[in-house]
Amino acid sequence: MTIVVGFAPDGRGRGVLHLSAMLARSAGDDLLVCAVVPAPWPPSPARVDAEYRAWLRGAANEALEQARARLPNDVPAQYVVREARSAPAGLLEVAEEHGAGLVVAGSSGGGVGHVSLGSTTSRLLHSSPIPVALSPRGFRGRPGARVVRVTAAFSEGAHDLVVAAAAVAGQVGASLRLASFAVRSRPPLTAGIGTAPERAVVQQWEQDILAAARATLEEVEHLPTPPAALTAVIGHGESWEEALEDVEWDAGDVLVVGSSSVGPIARVFLGSRSEKIVRHSPVPVVVVPRGAATEMAEQVVAGKE
Amino acid sequence: MASLREQILRRKPATELAEETGADTEGGELKRTISLFQLSLFGIGATIGTGIFIVLTEAVPLSGPAVIFSFMFAGLVAGLTAICYAELASAVPVSGSSYSYAYVTLGEGVAMVVAACLLLEYGVSAAAVAVGWSQYLNELFDNLFGFTIPENLSNAPEQDGIFNVPAVVLILLCMLLLVRGASESAKVNAVMVLIKVGVLILFIAVGLTGWDSDNLDDFSPFGVDGIETAAGIIFFSYIGLDAVSTAGEEVHNPRRNLPLAIIIALITVTSLYVLVALVAVAAQPLADFEDQEAGLSAILEAVTGDEWPATVLAAGAVISIFSVTLVVIYGQTRILFAMARDGMIPPFFHRLNPRTLTPVPATVAVAIVISILAGVLPIDFLAEMTSIGTLVAFLIVSIGVMVLRQTAPDLPRGFRVPLYPITPILSIAGCIWIIKDLRAVTIYVFFGWSAVALLWYFFYGRRNSVLGKAQAGEATP
Repeated sequence: MTIVVGFAPDGRGRGVLHLSAMLARSAGDDLLVCAVVPAPWPPSPARVDAEYRAWLRGAANEALEQARARLPNDVPAQYVVREARSAPAGLLEVAEEHGAGLVVAGSSGGGVGHVSLGSTTSRLLHSSPIPVALSPRGFRGRPGARVVRVTAAFSEGAHDLVVAAAAVAGQVGASLRLASFAVRSRPPLTAGIGTAPERAVVQQWEQDILAAARATLEEVEHLPTPPAALTAVIGHGESWEEALEDVEWDAGDVLVVGSSSVGPIARVFLGSRSEKIVRHSPVPVVVVPRGAATEMAEQVVAGKE
Repeated sequence: MASLREQILRRKPATELAEETGADTEGGELKRTISLFQLSLFGIGATIGTGIFIVLTEAVPLSGPAVIFSFMFAGLVAGLTAICYAELASAVPVSGSSYSYAYVTLGEGVAMVVAACLLLEYGVSAAAVAVGWSQYLNELFDNLFGFTIPENLSNAPEQDGIFNVPAVVLILLCMLLLVRGASESAKVNAVMVLIKVGVLILFIAVGLTGWDSDNLDDFSPFGVDGIETAAGIIFFSYIGLDAVSTAGEEVHNPRRNLPLAIIIALITVTSLYVLVALVAVAAQPLADFEDQEAGLSAILEAVTGDEWPATVLAAGAVISIFSVTLVVIYGQTRILFAMARDGMIPPFFHRLNPRTLTPVPATVAVAIVISILAGVLPIDFLAEMTSIGTLVAFLIVSIGVMVLRQTAPDLPRGFRVPLYPITPILSIAGCIWIIKDLRAVTIYVFFGWSAVALLWYFFYGRRNSVLGKAQAGEATP
């Protein structure tokens, strides 16, 4: 399957290329690096903006040349310039035409080391019917880097996501880890009950969530190509940032997050929790729309039978 | 099967408490990060706001201007009990509610009684505070928009109303926040302390302009009895002072700082209360206190003939009482959570919502019960019930300190009460002194409630006790 890579014509975003290469190498996919430029508007035969558009195309082609130079040559890639009314729309059109299974985009400005959602990536996330991979700002993969471990953000109702992530992890030879995050602010001392009751609450939650995680992992174990290893982990913190940092991350880690269950079924619609996980992730994130996760999970189950 | 005596006396090992709360998995002891100043601030923040906005209306008619002595007396008892509580709390490695401390040090039966008292200290006091809030909300609406919620819908049946709707709305708002996982941060607490202390100082400053010594002529119309009776209700406004003790494990040098913080908070709070009370009784005649709503605001309005100080005070009260209610209901849900984990009450109370990490069923149940109490019961009864619950809990704690010195003299304690055994004895005497002057109905209801709790323990708790099951498992493998 093809992976569509959104590469900004301004030539920023080396992280996107590193992430795309890592994903394509792991999955044995080819890349379609795409630069989107604005479509002519208004649609008039006068072509008063012909020179401007020629310049845009030139800039986009230049950007793609840069991408070609930077992309490791062990990954097959094609390069296209696309005219569309917006960057997200252009990328999704290209993805649909080529039957792509994944769109890769970069982070906009913001702190290095985290995924930051700009207007383009946000809109991409909210309108994509297929999974979207986001690279943290400044992400770099070593030459030949592969996905070593897939971490799925686990909560109740993440069953399909886990099955889908497990299937992909199994195919690329990575291990699977389920991560849940306990974000609790300090209990108010003025309540006069100290810290123990709140810790007991967190502990009870841990028991519940780990039991649910283990049940899901048992199911995943019986996949045709199960992941290399199965683990579950919990990150604690007073904020999402702390909770995500509490979990250990390595090179080759990818975090998979499901879209909210309340949004339109087919599309990625980030819930507030998912969005916080995405924003504070120190590793590349793949956001999977609920519809896509369910479809993948069903295919996996059907393939098993 | 263990005998009833063994069941009542079985104690939860302290190490088990530490383990089950995950104290060890999260790097053991909490960092000792709280300074004396912060701790005192916590004490002040936890204490002011639960009562001073509402007790004068109830207490002054009982004692006259001598109410200031009631404040001093109640404060003294509160200080003594808080110091005893600090010793008990410091004997247990993790900080919990007095229910957990009692379970570790004094046994299951006592813990159950303490829990029954805590339901009054938290649940019923939240209802009382919410009723007070509805009065200030009405005052604020009146001053800002010239609109008040109809009497029928903002008063309990005993006060010619039908149902106190604003109080219930407040509790449901708090419930929503707690279900979503809100909790008061240290910063919010600091802001609340500023607001609370600020409006009290405003009251004192503005109220002084209405000083009329004639109002103080009949200083103690009901004598010592009146002072003591008033102290019973006023004790309600000192609840929260013990919160200082539960922070023991995070405090630098607890041996020195715990008692100091309690004393600093106590002196600050008592001084403020006494000044507020003195200004209030000097500003208006005794007869005006009876049935006055949103007391402090009303006095300011009468004194100045101007609306703005009353409005500012009402706004401050509305904001700060909101935060108090939130924290109190939070405390109640977590106490019930701990009890449910121990098997003392049904597991319903320790069910969690996995997304918000909050005990949603417990929170909703607590909010419904408190709403009903706040909707139909008058504030003086709620305040007295809170007082008696808290007093009995502290009475038990003070006795517990002495029992523990006998039964476990070598138990490591982070803090020991000074002047032992005088301090706990004075504390016990003080509690009894105040309790005996509460209204008969309060005392009867309290005994009834304790009986219910003990019956509950007899028929449910002792059989379902997680500790009991564990011990039985060890005895007959």
